[in-house]
Amino acid sequence: MSIEVKNLSFSYGKVQALDDVSLSLGDGAVGLLGPNGAGKSTLIRILLGFLVPASGEGTILGYDIRRDQAKIRRSVGYMPEDDCFIAGMDAVTFTAYFGELSGMPREEAMKRAHEVLFYVGLGEARYRLLDTYSAGMKQRLKMAQALVHDPKLLFLDEPTANLDPQGRNDILELIADIASHKNIRVLLSSHILADIETLCSSVVILNKGRLAAEGRIEDLKATDVSLYELKIKGDGEAFRKDLESMKCRVEETEDKVIKVYMPADRDRMEIFRAAARTGAQIRYFIKSQTSLEDVFAELVGVD
Amino acid sequence: MATVREKGYYHWDGQLTEARFPWWPITRTGILLAFKKRGFRFLFAGAFLPSVVFLAIIYISEHLGDFKFWARGSEKFITITPGSFKIFFTNPGFLFLMIAMLVFAGAGLIADDLRHNSLQIYFSRPLKKTDYLLGKMAVVFFFILVVTLVPGLLVLVFKVIFDGSFKFFLDYPWLVLSIVGYSAMLAVFFAFYTLLLSALSKNSRYVMILVFMIYLFSDILSGILQGIFRTPYMSLFSIRANIEQMGAFIFAQKPPQAIPVVLSFLVLGGVCGLSALVLHRKIRSVEVIR
Repeated sequence: MSIEVKNLSFSYGKVQALDDVSLSLGDGAVGLLGPNGAGKSTLIRILLGFLVPASGEGTILGYDIRRDQAKIRRSVGYMPEDDCFIAGMDAVTFTAYFGELSGMPREEAMKRAHEVLFYVGLGEARYRLLDTYSAGMKQRLKMAQALVHDPKLLFLDEPTANLDPQGRNDILELIADIASHKNIRVLLSSHILADIETLCSSVVILNKGRLAAEGRIEDLKATDVSLYELKIKGDGEAFRKDLESMKCRVEETEDKVIKVYMPADRDRMEIFRAAARTGAQIRYFIKSQTSLEDVFAELVGVD
Repeated sequence: MATVREKGYYHWDGQLTEARFPWWPITRTGILLAFKKRGFRFLFAGAFLPSVVFLAIIYISEHLGDFKFWARGSEKFITITPGSFKIFFTNPGFLFLMIAMLVFAGAGLIADDLRHNSLQIYFSRPLKKTDYLLGKMAVVFFFILVVTLVPGLLVLVFKVIFDGSFKFFLDYPWLVLSIVGYSAMLAVFFAFYTLLLSALSKNSRYVMILVFMIYLFSDILSGILQGIFRTPYMSLFSIRANIEQMGAFIFAQKPPQAIPVVLSFLVLGGVCGLSALVLHRKIRSVEVIR
């Protein structure tokens, strides 16, 4: 296991940020999901040793999170959410500098800085002052500094934040390559469910500081509900109430598509019967696949 | 911008080691970044000017015969004693040059890291808070020691060379220790002073003004208060006056102010203590808003 924590709790004063979280993460890319304030960043900060947990224990790559912080930091790379750089430096010096601070010999760090900057696509701009870098370039630079010492595990905090579509695709492609071909484990924290669904095989969902779900995305998506999408004409409110009385969860999207999450043991014909009872005309009906977004909405209780 | 993966990723086959001096890369980088700042090299060179003047005075004092026409009647003023070293080290112009140097080299040491959120990447490395602070302090140590300790010892060596004997050295064997001690204390004080102010703001320009203005304002305030209350104790408000008191004590000279020297040491030590407290609270890997 790359990360294993048991009964981890942490609070900022009176605000409980993490409450008795236990999880166990394996290899490959793992997504860390949750709404704002769910405790994602707090969890990463505890794993990195930035914050000391009030209770609980854990290991990263076999190292204890309380005792072996230096060993953990030597073995992991961290790409923070905020823009981070040092004014007046160029990318090579910056990347080599953090390589050296990780414990690499100076010459090796410099050589390696060139390599990773080429890898993240900053080869041509590696001698430019960081102050002149665009948002996309700064994201790549953060990735380069996280990779320079060849970590075994990467913590990526919102790696596609503030990027244009092309920049986002580039970073996602990079993460996919790292996670699938380079034998580096990745813990990816993101608000963008599509990114997680594209890159990660398993996911951890936090909600209000508690563990809401953990496991392979495929397993989580294979829920005991069937999802139907439909459009109707008529009394939508009565139709909705009728469906809810049958233990169905009903959501309406902005483009008036009604999503019906029906318990798997019920017959889809009951939807048509409910429409007949309430005088609603079904104009569109399709059986849909549950997405990570649906799982997230189900667990966290938000759209 | 080039596409990603211009070149493939290769695993590094080296071994990460525990550095004996993990703070050293921070210091080296801080020094190099200071020299990249516009105008700093000129200022740095200018900080050696008092040393050159002092060296010239020593040369003249040893060759008075050659300068009779110029030094007539002023022999006693250019006789080199430990007092001359005290005047060299504590003269307001020299201290002012050091402050000017710190404005450029020290103001951004922490302020820039706070502004650009770099602390979290520093502390995602196997680096302790003390390593980080020591690395930053050592930048100030370097600049202060290089303009005080190095010229101070060189001047002493040249005095012996110009004199042609070890008499001066044997007369005042403790002078070497005084030079080392004073330079070290000055470096420690200025390091704490600069880092304290640098940690108070994310804007290094604002810190530059603070470093400069607090030094000057403390002197002006002390002058005003001395004028009002007519007591030398008001000189304790002045950073410069306290450094002069400390220098006079270390070079075994009469203190310029008629107040116990220990009070000046306490004031300077208090600034260092306050700085340590602020740095301990401000330097965190994450900003926790409660």
